[in-house]
Amino acid sequence: MERKLIIAGIGGQGVVYATKVVSQAGLLRGERVLASENHGMSQRGGSVMSCVKIGGSDAPLIRRGTADAVVAFDRLEAIRNLPFVRAGGNVCVNTPDGLDPAVNGRLAEMGVGVHLINANALANELGASSAANLIVLGFAAAHGALGLTLDDLKESVKALGPTKAVEMNLKALDVGAAKAMANGRFA
Amino acid sequence: MPQLLLGNDAIALGMIQSGCQVVTAYPGTPSSEILAGVIKFKKKLGADVYTEWSASEKVALEVALAASWSGLRAATTMKQVGLNVAADPLFSAAYTGVVAGLVIVPCDDPGPHSSQTEQDSRLMALTAKVPVFDPSTPEEAMAMVEAAFDLSERHRIPVILRPTTRVCHAVQSVDIDDPAQKYKANGKAGFKKDPQRWAATPVFRLKLHHELNAKLQAIEAEFEKSPLNTIFNSPISNSLNGELEIGRIGIIASGVAFATAQESLAELGVSAPLLKIGTPYPLPRKLVSDFVSQFDRVLVLEEPDACIELQIPDRTRVSGRLDGVVPIAGELTPEVIMSVVAEALERAGVSVPPPPDDATLASIVQSLKITPRRPRLCPGCSHRSAFYTVKHTFGPNAIYPGDIGCYTLGTNLRVVDTCVDMGASVTMAAGFYHAGRLIGDKRPIISTIGDSTFIHSGIVPLINAVHTNARFVLLILDNHTTAMTGAQPTPANDFAADGGAATRVPIPDIVKACGVKFVRVADPYDQEPFESLLKEAHAFTQSPDGGVAVIIADRPCVLYDDTPVKSNPMPVVVTEQCDGCRYCVEAFECPALVLRPDKSRVDIDYRTCVECGQCIDACYKGFIVPKELAVSDQPLAVSN
Repeated sequence: MERKLIIAGIGGQGVVYATKVVSQAGLLRGERVLASENHGMSQRGGSVMSCVKIGGSDAPLIRRGTADAVVAFDRLEAIRNLPFVRAGGNVCVNTPDGLDPAVNGRLAEMGVGVHLINANALANELGASSAANLIVLGFAAAHGALGLTLDDLKESVKALGPTKAVEMNLKALDVGAAKAMANGRFA
Repeated sequence: MPQLLLGNDAIALGMIQSGCQVVTAYPGTPSSEILAGVIKFKKKLGADVYTEWSASEKVALEVALAASWSGLRAATTMKQVGLNVAADPLFSAAYTGVVAGLVIVPCDDPGPHSSQTEQDSRLMALTAKVPVFDPSTPEEAMAMVEAAFDLSERHRIPVILRPTTRVCHAVQSVDIDDPAQKYKANGKAGFKKDPQRWAATPVFRLKLHHELNAKLQAIEAEFEKSPLNTIFNSPISNSLNGELEIGRIGIIASGVAFATAQESLAELGVSAPLLKIGTPYPLPRKLVSDFVSQFDRVLVLEEPDACIELQIPDRTRVSGRLDGVVPIAGELTPEVIMSVVAEALERAGVSVPPPPDDATLASIVQSLKITPRRPRLCPGCSHRSAFYTVKHTFGPNAIYPGDIGCYTLGTNLRVVDTCVDMGASVTMAAGFYHAGRLIGDKRPIISTIGDSTFIHSGIVPLINAVHTNARFVLLILDNHTTAMTGAQPTPANDFAADGGAATRVPIPDIVKACGVKFVRVADPYDQEPFESLLKEAHAFTQSPDGGVAVIIADRPCVLYDDTPVKSNPMPVVVTEQCDGCRYCVEAFECPALVLRPDKSRVDIDYRTCVECGQCIDACYKGFIVPKELAVSDQPLAVSN
């Protein structure tokens, strides 16, 4: 089954690492993976977005209206990338607030699942402010948005290393997943 | 076992596996990771490969060319505009030919995402008369490296491999069966003299040109039968309408556009004949003409310009970039290709389902007017301090020629007025001076250039400016690295690409040797003395015996060497009095200075702040103060 995922954020929020985690998870499942990364000017605090295709075609980009999920580490980057999500897809966003009243109605009509998590606050509680990206990934996986299980992501994090970061990253994935469960969803 | 490989790593691995022994490069997005990959794989596999970050692309190509003439397989990488810099040796080497395989990898940037042009290196190949390969994926790029070396060596001709951003920076699961070197050097190594070829005079050059043309003819014949140029899909069938008349429409595509076109057709449920071209020059014209003649209409999809389309002998049935059916500029995104393909199919009488793109959602998002966050200099960047002081010293009236690098972002701070190409800050400054002298324009001219760019293309312009008595201030922003592209060493570093020892060529010595009489080195973090120095430099340019004044703003890039910042931290707070006037946010533009969403005041984002203390002067009202001076009972500003 092909999965098309958009991962978005601001330079420095760990979009590239999150893309690696998701890609490696697909690889470990023995599936074809193609991901496109942003480099260059975009790494200087600008908007960053990557496309990941698991079990899919050789075309690197994802067309608007066809992404299974938009995973974003920033509210505005989430909204900017909303047109990529397909009807019935999912949007998982790191934000203490709502998405935007203007888009909620249309997303509901399209049957898009909107899942919000204040990952920055949870990351601070965890004592690892830079782990918000993995909290969101764990949250998205537990919501079934990625077509990858929490265990898939954990195996990926272990495979990617480095050893000293693995433990914190696994914890972060669990924190995100637990939040999803608390919301009444089960992976 | 499949592994995830970045496109640029795949190219690097292809080089090592092909027995390439010399790889040279000048960094530039999207090409920069190739040489880093070569170094990684050469260490991993214990391969004896000479690698260098060259001073420029021209240098890189010539060093690689000499290796090829010495019988060693060699490669050189650069971004597409780098091939302009290397055009001189490229055109000449096409005539002289090579001994061992020579593969040149200019990486194109349709979009453009991080370049000053969208130029097509395949058209450079066509003009220089060298064959070019056009990969669609990282996996194919890796395979094409080997094919390119083989072709280059058999026909004794330099070969270009032309990936685009979406190949270079794609990560793909690739089967790496045996990561060892597959090719071993042929044992005929060593430069052999042949002056009529290697030092050919114009008489012999004509002979070489005929020889080159004969090579291209043979290569084109080979490409006619190459599996890199293959027709996919059967004659047209349409799952919605059943079988359709054969011969209505065919598609020719190359590079990433091929993969995207294939995906679009699959999504539309249409199986249209698709000719994939892996070798756009020399174009296998018979294969292409035979394909075109079978259809009423043929669509050509390629990036970034028209190279295949241009070479099709009879274009009466052909549509593409040239007739505007395909947009004549910009990246061929999946949206563009889907719309072009769907339209062409409709015109050919094939009905297709509407794309699922939700226009309602897209228009709502558009109405929210969320502008993309523009890139900014990093917190603690010494360029910001230099720019801020320059602006404070010379104001909006001065002319500010800029250059290519992180510091092009000085446009945000309004101290970069021009950006042409590598080294143009120096030549344009001289040009503005000479033009201004004729028309009585006496505005100060302050140009900025980075250390790597200065060595790449600023030295000759500086000699020219001194020699022609130009008067301006040149600020060399020396952060000890090539920062924008990932911290590659420059000749002013004492280490080489692979970490080995290298001889440092100090920039102040270069500047003095160029004949500059005013040369100072200063730390831009010391803003007040730096301002005095700028004034002194400007005064020199105005003095009777004055000329070009050079200040070297010396401080390492904070991303790659934060020891100076860490050893002397200056944490700051924004006091309660902050009134949200936005001056610091706009004039200093540090990402760690954050205006509250309600615009009431500015906070320090302590997650990104590096405690450089450089923003203290960015609040002229004095509301940004060192933490140690802040009143103890005063609530510290904390970012949300």
